[in-house]
Amino acid sequence: MQNTKDTFYITLRSRLAAMNPARTMTLRAVTRPGILVGEAEAPLPQPMLDAFTLSWTALQADLQLPAILTQMTCEIQYSTAGTQTNAGLDRGRCLEEMDYEVLKLLYPYSAQKMNYTQNPAAALETMVFWSEPEFGPIVTLRDRLSRTAKVTIFAFEEQGEQ
Amino acid sequence: MADLSTQNPCGLAQRVATALLRAGGGTTACLQMPPLQGDATNAGQIGLNAPGFLSLPLAPAVFRKSRVAMQDGQLPKYELLISADAVAAQVTQLQLSSAQTLFSMACGVVVAGKLFLIEAVSASESQGAAYLYRLLLQEACGEWPA
Repeated sequence: MQNTKDTFYITLRSRLAAMNPARTMTLRAVTRPGILVGEAEAPLPQPMLDAFTLSWTALQADLQLPAILTQMTCEIQYSTAGTQTNAGLDRGRCLEEMDYEVLKLLYPYSAQKMNYTQNPAAALETMVFWSEPEFGPIVTLRDRLSRTAKVTIFAFEEQGEQ
Repeated sequence: MADLSTQNPCGLAQRVATALLRAGGGTTACLQMPPLQGDATNAGQIGLNAPGFLSLPLAPAVFRKSRVAMQDGQLPKYELLISADAVAAQVTQLQLSSAQTLFSMACGVVVAGKLFLIEAVSASESQGAAYLYRLLLQEACGEWPA
């Protein structure tokens, strides 16, 4: 399952870097595309603005198939307070831009499953698939707008995977 | 109307705060800072590589429990009062723009061998210059290697 999670994150990160190179963040002294895995970073008191945070929540497994089919839910959480140039009055537009980026990041809805514990990463035999995003309502906290999009990711557990 | 009166900061408040913190049982707190050369690899972003945090000592500091945990399952919160002189020295050494940047880069604070997460930072100022920083901390659940 960890390979599925790693593949999903790195696929989205690569797509974001290609689609919007300007959406970057600096985290742990590295400037990188504005997407992170929440559980792989130090806890943040506030969600990072203008970046996508992935959180893994639900997990189901179908054991009736020749290979175990896992179904995991990933919540993509993002927030913005607009830009300093516009004194934050463009926060609605910035959130809409991030909504659109989520749609574009997720398409196509599949990727080759990879094992990133090896260097270089090794391609596995199956694919990782995911659903269309299910957008939640906008949450407003003072000058910050946030939204969470839920995606369900499907993958087969291959023999030899941990 | 603008206040045009002349105020020459002489560092008195900073020296008093430092002396009080030292007299009040001053201890050393270590900020956990990311390494100067960050890990830009895939493994560094998916939790495979050890982060290699640097320990940045700040002293004198006073550490105290801010309130008793009243709700079930809620970890106690603590306060850390740090001398602005100590913070300013580290800000200068790391060539950062401000103390706020220093604290926002930190991934936690280690006091007496225990890791705490930074929840909020505030500064007390005199004549426009900070003399004391107050960090609101929450105890981390994970074990920290001594």
